[in-house]
Amino acid sequence: MTQSANIKRPVYLDYQATTPLDPRVLEAMMPFLTDKFGNPHSTSHSYGWEAAAAVERARGQVAELIGAAPEEIIFTSGATESNNLAIKGAARFYRARRDHLVTVVSEHKCVRESCAALEREGFRVTILPVNAGGLIELDQLAEALDEHTLLVSVMAVNNEIGVIQPLADIGRLCREKRVFFHTDAAQAAGKIPLDVRAMAIDMMSLSGHKIYGPKGVGALFVGHRPRVRLEPLISGGGQEAGLRSGTLAPHQVVGLGEACVLAGGEMADEAARLEALFDHFHAGLTAGLPDVVLNGDAGARFKGNLNYSFPGVDGEMLLARLRDLAVSSGAACASASGESSYVLEALGVAPGLAQASLRIGLGRFTTRAEVDYALETLIREVRELRANHA
Amino acid sequence: MPKVVFISANGGQRWQVDAPVGASLMQVAIDAGLDMEGACEGQMACSTCHVIVDEAFYDRLAEPSEDEEDMHDLAAGVCATSRLACQIILRAEDEGLTVRLPAQSHSMLGF
Amino acid sequence: MSASRVYLDYNASAPIRPPVIDAVADALRLGGNPSSVHHEGRRLRGLIEKARQAVADLVGAAPEEVFFTSGGTEANNWALRAADRPALVSAIEHASVLEPARARLAGIIPVSRDGLVEEEAAVRQLAAAGAPVVLSVMLANNETGVIQPVRRLAELGHEHGALVHCDAVQAAGKMAVDFAALGVDMMSLSAHKLGGPPGVGALIIRAGLDLPALLLGGGQERRRRAGTEAAATIIGFGVAAELAGEGLARLAPLADWRDWMEYHLKLAAPGVRFFGARAPRLGNSSAILMPGVSAQTQLMALDLEGLALSAGAACSSGKVAASAVLRAMGADADEAANTLRFSMGWNSARSDVERFVEAWCVLYDRLAQP
Repeated sequence: MTQSANIKRPVYLDYQATTPLDPRVLEAMMPFLTDKFGNPHSTSHSYGWEAAAAVERARGQVAELIGAAPEEIIFTSGATESNNLAIKGAARFYRARRDHLVTVVSEHKCVRESCAALEREGFRVTILPVNAGGLIELDQLAEALDEHTLLVSVMAVNNEIGVIQPLADIGRLCREKRVFFHTDAAQAAGKIPLDVRAMAIDMMSLSGHKIYGPKGVGALFVGHRPRVRLEPLISGGGQEAGLRSGTLAPHQVVGLGEACVLAGGEMADEAARLEALFDHFHAGLTAGLPDVVLNGDAGARFKGNLNYSFPGVDGEMLLARLRDLAVSSGAACASASGESSYVLEALGVAPGLAQASLRIGLGRFTTRAEVDYALETLIREVRELRANHA
Repeated sequence: MPKVVFISANGGQRWQVDAPVGASLMQVAIDAGLDMEGACEGQMACSTCHVIVDEAFYDRLAEPSEDEEDMHDLAAGVCATSRLACQIILRAEDEGLTVRLPAQSHSMLGF
Repeated sequence: MSASRVYLDYNASAPIRPPVIDAVADALRLGGNPSSVHHEGRRLRGLIEKARQAVADLVGAAPEEVFFTSGGTEANNWALRAADRPALVSAIEHASVLEPARARLAGIIPVSRDGLVEEEAAVRQLAAAGAPVVLSVMLANNETGVIQPVRRLAELGHEHGALVHCDAVQAAGKMAVDFAALGVDMMSLSAHKLGGPPGVGALIIRAGLDLPALLLGGGQERRRRAGTEAAATIIGFGVAAELAGEGLARLAPLADWRDWMEYHLKLAAPGVRFFGARAPRLGNSSAILMPGVSAQTQLMALDLEGLALSAGAACSSGKVAASAVLRAMGADADEAANTLRFSMGWNSARSDVERFVEAWCVLYDRLAQP
């Protein structure tokens, strides 16, 4: 019996939906909410200069995490906006020359919907399937590219099942064919090593609240070599190299920068720690419930994401019995609208099984004791549910 | 000598000009009396020689340098086939090169 | 804020009100507790709805008409782009209205020397447009404080089938704003202009108007604005809106201080000019021309005296861009370049104004040509 007395309940295991704000990030943000309140675009006084300097420092911190140059980083209100801007912005700028986009069935809604909107504007969109492990097939991607293709958008780490797409291979292929490569790295940045040069990535979306930073801020990497141009979604005062106008919120941006620094610095150790927790959990779960299915490629995955299907169990009932565990059924965004997981569907998981799935997310504050508690609880509840329906 | 074609912003006027190989497109325009400022005389400091290259010819030109790309950021009305005319050095195979003058321009030199 | 510095640039950004800082910090900390993210998530959701009500109350709208954005710029872009019609805008609009308008421009309505939109020109342009437009006129201007007759213009716009948008970013919290009474279809707000945190604003959309979303994806803000909500900053916006509403009456003396300031500057410098002074104006604002002396020189000298002001709009990267607003009011290039923006707010004191008058007059004596 685990020492459950010291564990705070409910145990948070939903790190893909959102992450708690790291206290060190909050500490970095606070001065910019208090005495350093200047508008970073006010060039006429020291309040403004101070804020502007902090913004530029943060820009450099974000750039460093992904191997970019600071001038290639634009701040946005989050990854949703970054994805909208990258896809719609590039498509509309280059419309006269290229009118074909390629993406993947398992992409986040904001990518899928941005592509759908462009389709209504006359663009052709190819949606690549994924294999049973959730990964794209490179030869299918190669076939999809033609001389009209402008952009390929592939999420680096999938938010529902945690699989990692072959970024460097995709980048190489796209660079050869002179097609831009955009990746939604909201779940990847700060968790797996990313290098926009080595991976030939042309645009990358990042999110603050997925890496222990604040909600409401994100970034978009827009490559300079080759130069990617965008038609802005939000224009006006010309901030962010004219690509994203609007007053920047220094406290938000500083928070994102600090989150990137912390994540980058701790990435290697954290990856090893999460891998150990993953292996322990997976071994324990499969021993206790031999027919449980881990969704998504077992090897090419971020170890903080465990999406399992539990045959013979009603998903909603299971979730209801797991009051002590904060986990997710399907993606956070999808469940808000009540839709079933199109990502699991894309993997070929049957609807009944997809419904009986949970996403368990491990993160920076997850302890071994919490993992053991979750393991115990899950195994017990699943067995009871099955017994009741035997 | 290759012939190059300039089209006015609104499409209403066309100028066909003989262009010496090795000359910059900007110099050709100025020598032909076109309304192109060339304020910095080809130093990539102003963006007033910004032109929009016809689709058919854009890919045949040598790629812009990163410095030129930086200046594009600052030019008015930049689009997918924008170039700075001072950076296009004419070759024999540029016969028929067609460019359009943008609707507006502003000099980054500040005067 | 140190006692020796005086901040007179509220129209660029207002210092964050202390209760707002506390509310934002508390909300950020709530989101920092791993074991209670879900539970606290519900609490934060409740606080977001409370903020929505507070913003609605400030501007006389219903809470279901309030949609949070990342700021005034996004709200303006959303309104103009999603309206999907040619745009007819005043000559003095903020860049975040002018730029999206330029993508599909029906016309620019001139203003008088006093900074007021010319009604006859507006009617002419509405009629000449041919197709229904989106008409956008700001309620109060950021550089001069001049207040437009938005209700009248909205009526005219509707008579011609226009959708009417009003940028109330500078007006909210400085004057009484009544969305319902103004009769406009859409209205933009920004939190940091009224002592809230930067990074949040709102677009008020009249109930019954089905404006498409600008940002697509998740179903946030009832499917009209995708993207995880910045709970802490939204909650801060709500607190700022409440305080701004309560504090409106306390801002009344500012107009007297401003008038006193203008009177004394005029005594010291007969050539001084205040743009928009003859039109209805926000009480906190003044656009002050010191003939013959560039705004940049004035600002640097004033900064050395501990006074923080600005010139033109606080937007453009690096350079102080020549004021399009003042040019639209008939100022020539020199006059526009020599004009300062003076604006007070919730934390201003009369002594701030006295210090400014003193410093400005000294500067005038030293630098201005007789």
